[in-house]
Amino acid sequence: MEKPSEVAAAAGSADPKVGLRAVVALHRLADALEAVQVRNARRLGWSWQEIADALGVSKQAVHKKYAGRI
Amino acid sequence: MFERFTDAARAVVNGAPVEAQRLQHPLTGTEHLLLALLRHGEGAGALLRAAGVTSEGVEAAIGRLLHVGREVLDEEDAAALRAIGVDLDEVRARIEQDFGPGSLAPPPEPPRRWFGLRRRGAARPAGVIDHLPYSPRAKKVLELALRESLRLKHGYVGAEHVLLGLLRENAGLGASVLADAGVDVERLRRRTEVALRAAA
Repeated sequence: MEKPSEVAAAAGSADPKVGLRAVVALHRLADALEAVQVRNARRLGWSWQEIADALGVSKQAVHKKYAGRI
Repeated sequence: MFERFTDAARAVVNGAPVEAQRLQHPLTGTEHLLLALLRHGEGAGALLRAAGVTSEGVEAAIGRLLHVGREVLDEEDAAALRAIGVDLDEVRARIEQDFGPGSLAPPPEPPRRWFGLRRRGAARPAGVIDHLPYSPRAKKVLELALRESLRLKHGYVGAEHVLLGLLRENAGLGASVLADAGVDVERLRRRTEVALRAAA
């Protein structure tokens, strides 16, 4: 783990290449976390509607993305 | 746990890690149990084939389904996240603590990882492979197989009970592959129970 000063320096980087690449990585991480959590919620018997409500998206969106795939 | 397993069921249990190894997967999952059922499951394999499930079809579906909903996070992503103060290794460790190894998007596997998994192989006689560990879900399938045997008051666990366990588990990649192949799980479950009753 970097020292806080280093993290702050990178986070405040004005280089769009660095900043945008971090956004891409965060999206990927969020997608991966979402897949893990949706899978677990389904395993625990949550309905697609309940999962969609928790994620703040439509039932159709979450169902289309994950149904039959997890 | 395996005292009551029939020869065919044992062949499935032992065959699944071999399937995982052949496909160069890091863990033995429910999808490998499915492949082992087709290869070693005798009656259970026949039931699967009658439902239209083939080894080739399963392998193709595994390849297709494995990466859906599983973003691959590589070293470049890890570096980009580090730059904004997110420690990907720490996130992965916490998720795996709750959901098992490889549950978060696994990193792309460098070849040496596979050698790492067989680290004790060198000390073993040629031809004896190190079994890849079972995933939590695959273990669950074996527990459910035992439970199905108890429920049906059978004094043994056959490959058919492993199949029932797989159908009951219904959340792993094995179940997804069956769903992908359009298998009517309820119907297959009934047919498997009928076959077990006929054999009893």
